[in-house]
This record gives sequence, structure tokens and C-alpha cells, in this order.
Amino acid sequence: MTNKDRHASSFRDPSGHVFLEDGDVKRSIFPIYFKQYEALKTQGIFKKLWQAGLLVKHEELSTSDTEVIIKPEQIPFITYPYEWSFNQYKEAALLTLKIQKFCLDHGFSLKDASAFNVTFHKGKAIFIDTLSFDFYQNNSPWRAYKQFITHFLGPLVLARYHGSQSMKLMSNYIDGIPIKMLSSMLPFKTKLNLFLYSNIHLLAKFEDKHNEDYSGKTKQTTLSKKAQLNIVTSLYDYIKKLELKESTEWGNYYNKTNYSDAAFVEKSQIINGWLSKLNSKRIIDVGGNDGTFVREINNNLDLAIVSDIDNNAVDFNYKTIKKNKETYILPMVLDVLNPSPAVGFENKERHSFICRVQNLAPDAALALALIHHMTLSGNVPFEMSAQFFASFSEYLIIEFPKRSDSWVQRLLNTKGEFKSHFDFYAIEHFESSYKTHFNLIEKQSIANSERVMYLFKTIK
Amino acid sequence: MNVFLYFDPGLGAMIIQAIVAAVAGVVLFSKNVMHKIKVFLGIAKPIDEDHFDDINIEDPDIEKQNKRDE
Repeated sequence: MTNKDRHASSFRDPSGHVFLEDGDVKRSIFPIYFKQYEALKTQGIFKKLWQAGLLVKHEELSTSDTEVIIKPEQIPFITYPYEWSFNQYKEAALLTLKIQKFCLDHGFSLKDASAFNVTFHKGKAIFIDTLSFDFYQNNSPWRAYKQFITHFLGPLVLARYHGSQSMKLMSNYIDGIPIKMLSSMLPFKTKLNLFLYSNIHLLAKFEDKHNEDYSGKTKQTTLSKKAQLNIVTSLYDYIKKLELKESTEWGNYYNKTNYSDAAFVEKSQIINGWLSKLNSKRIIDVGGNDGTFVREINNNLDLAIVSDIDNNAVDFNYKTIKKNKETYILPMVLDVLNPSPAVGFENKERHSFICRVQNLAPDAALALALIHHMTLSGNVPFEMSAQFFASFSEYLIIEFPKRSDSWVQRLLNTKGEFKSHFDFYAIEHFESSYKTHFNLIEKQSIANSERVMYLFKTIK
Repeated sequence: MNVFLYFDPGLGAMIIQAIVAAVAGVVLFSKNVMHKIKVFLGIAKPIDEDHFDDINIEDPDIEKQNKRDE
């Protein structure tokens, strides 16, 4: 195996790497990790973690003296930590601690605790780095402790005190929020909390102090297993109870909409009719709020990504998924006017949203009650939004609120004296602009509303 | 083993764990004691229903899952 097809995000751990072959994600394991891999296999660690649904399953494809190749269960769309809602982030953190506790109980330990080791699949968080396990060395501290704090506890506590937007910091600090900065950003009262003081503020002080006299040699420090279990358990207990202070202003969005129940039913009937005609299996609902419309689709979907800018809406969607035990909906936080960029080494380690959604190539994209926000709040011209949707989806189902719609009027009124600059917001102009990127398949007005539904097909 | 240290675990972070663990021990212990007192006095709060389970992967869970898979 050469490195040429190595996945751009897989270079940090010398134990092996991920590569793509014939469109499948596979993982190559090097001799340096054979001992661990064999032990994990023969002692049934993998199996137990699979059965508990905590670790991504894999099958062994080949073994030789120089390489073992495994093929993990394929996950169609990877979401990153900066695309998770608060409770999703919490679940990812608790999953990592749960695995570490399990490892310690069975003579292993997680050698890293990156938030990027976790993603969401089939309605829950799952650990996707099969090579993160190492043997537990007696009386050794947890090497990944600081990483856990900067990747998980830090962003969660910041969100607690400064709002869910602070979790977006992870898109810049992909190696975790710098501990000194984290400590400085938290309010003084967190210093009075013994747990936060020791895990964040004191950690920042210790790291600062030992940063300078670091001679490059690793000093041996000891910590009993019981003590490490105390750390892991107390982190678990604290994070489990952590709540956001934000009120759920969008939690009940559908009580605030301006159309009637009948219009809602008609809208979902139109969507259902079109999707079943297209036989769509994988869709993305951009600006899909809490997933209400996706749940109205009775077309046996395999995957429905529901993105929204609002953490609370995504969180509400996530909680509904948990309650109903749904497996096909994947909620994510996404600002359509500023989708997640490509970050990391060579800008390739973490892919952009556009790149990932293009690879997924969903059968259809839904943009319901979105275009007026993109056009009038974000000032995105119709030509540009059309190009955006056409870049990743074969079909587009889009709802156009006419100029006379009350929401559109409200948005136009906020423009004040510049209102006339937005005269282009008209249904004729919308249609002509979208027809440069799409063929119009069908068009239907929703009765008793100022809204029109469109089914477009991308011109290739 | 150092070959696996492909990120800096932080020397300070390694040393501090003894202190963090001691604090965690105190917190966990006092919580336990408080809970017992509350139960004794009959004022223990009912455990909120949430979708996050306990830290332990219970073996019965694993067995249940087995049965479902079969």
C-alpha cells in the first residue's frame, strides 16, 4: 500500500491510516499496532463495543506481515464537532468517557480523545477511530486527559456560559480550544467551582508553568487506576448534567409560522407526491428547522440530513430522534450563508460542507421557507442561490414566498430606504434566474397562502 | 510506547491529574453521602428522565443487544 490514496485527514497516528478504494473507506493497520489490534480482537473488546453500539463495526479484509486491512461500516455523511448541537456534543463527550471507562475496566486506555473521533450515524454518536485504543499501563495517568478537556469539556462549558455559538470555535481550533484561552474566557464564578477550577483553571496554570521548563523529556508521573476512574466518572457526571442557559426560542417554531394547518398539510402532500415520484432515498433539507417536514415524508428514506442555523432547532430535532428512536435523520448545525469550510493541514483534513454534500450527491434537496431569508437577509442574488443548490443535488424542491407574503414584507420593511433595491424579489425574476441552472419540472401554489412550490431538475 | 504520542499530552496535564482525581474523589464521595442523607430524610429528588445513560456499559445491555441481533 502506498500513501498516494491515503485519506487527507488520516496522518497523525502512525498506527495506520484510512484510505479510499473504489469509493469505500478502508483502514490500513501497520505492524507497530499489530499487538494492540490482536489483543483487542482476541479479548473481544471490539465485539463488546460493537454490541453496545459504541464503536463503528469493521470486517477484516486481509492480513499480512506488513499490513492488516479492515473495512469499517460505511458512514454516508460525516458531521464535525462544529456542526453539532449542544446535546449532540454532550452525547459525543459522554460516549468518549464511556469508552474510556470500559477500556480501563478491561486493561486498555484511549490514547487520544479527539472530538473528531466521533460522528453521528443512525441516530446516535459513534466512535469511528478503531486505532485509538492502547494497552493500559499500570499507574499511568490518562495521556488524552488534556485533549478531552480542550476538545469536549471546554467547548461545552463555553457554550454553557457564552451560548451555543461558542462551539463553532472548534472549526478553527481543530486541536482543541487552547487551555489558557479557555480559562481566560470563563467567568470568575467558575473558579469557585471545585470541578471547573481543577479541570480547567488549574490545568491551564500547570500547563503554563511546565511549558517553559520542558526539556523534551517525558517525566514519569503516576496515577492509580482508581484515581483515573474518579476523573473519568466525575467528568461524566458533570457533563451529563450540563444544560444550556438559552431559552428555546425556536423550539416551537411551527406555532409561529404564518400559514394555516391546511396549508401545512397541502405543502407536505406536494412534497410527498414529488419525492415518491422521484423515489428519493437520500435527501437534504437545508434550513429544515427541527425536522418537522422531513417527518411528514412517508417515502422510506435511507438518509435525511436536516440542517439549520439555529442550535435550539437542531437540538429539538435531535431530542425528537432520541424519543422516537429514528435512525435515518441526521441533524446538523449549518449556516447556509457560511457553510463549514475545509480546514486543517493543506486545507484537506476536514472537508468543507459543500465537498461532503457533493460526495453524498443526495437525490433531492429541500429548501422550504428559506429563499426569502437567503435573498433578503443574506442579500444572495437568485442566480447565486440557484448555483449553490445546483452544485450538489439532482433535484430541488423549493418554496417561494411571494412578495406579498407577510414574512417577505417584514424582511423588506427592515431594509428601510433601500427597500427599492430589492424590487428584484419577484416570482418572475426568481423563475427566470433558477431556469439558468434548472429545468422546471412542476410548480404548484399552496392554497390560501402566498407561497408556491417548485420542483426543479439540475441542468448538467 | 512513545511512538504513540503523536500529540503532546502536556506535562502539566499529566502531573495535575493527581490533584484533579483527588478533587473528583471528594466531589463523588460527598455527592454519595448527600444522596444517602436525602434518601434517609425522604427528600431525594426523583432521577430525571433523560436519554443519556449511565457511564457503565452493562453486560445485560450487551446480552439484550445480542438477542435483538439474533
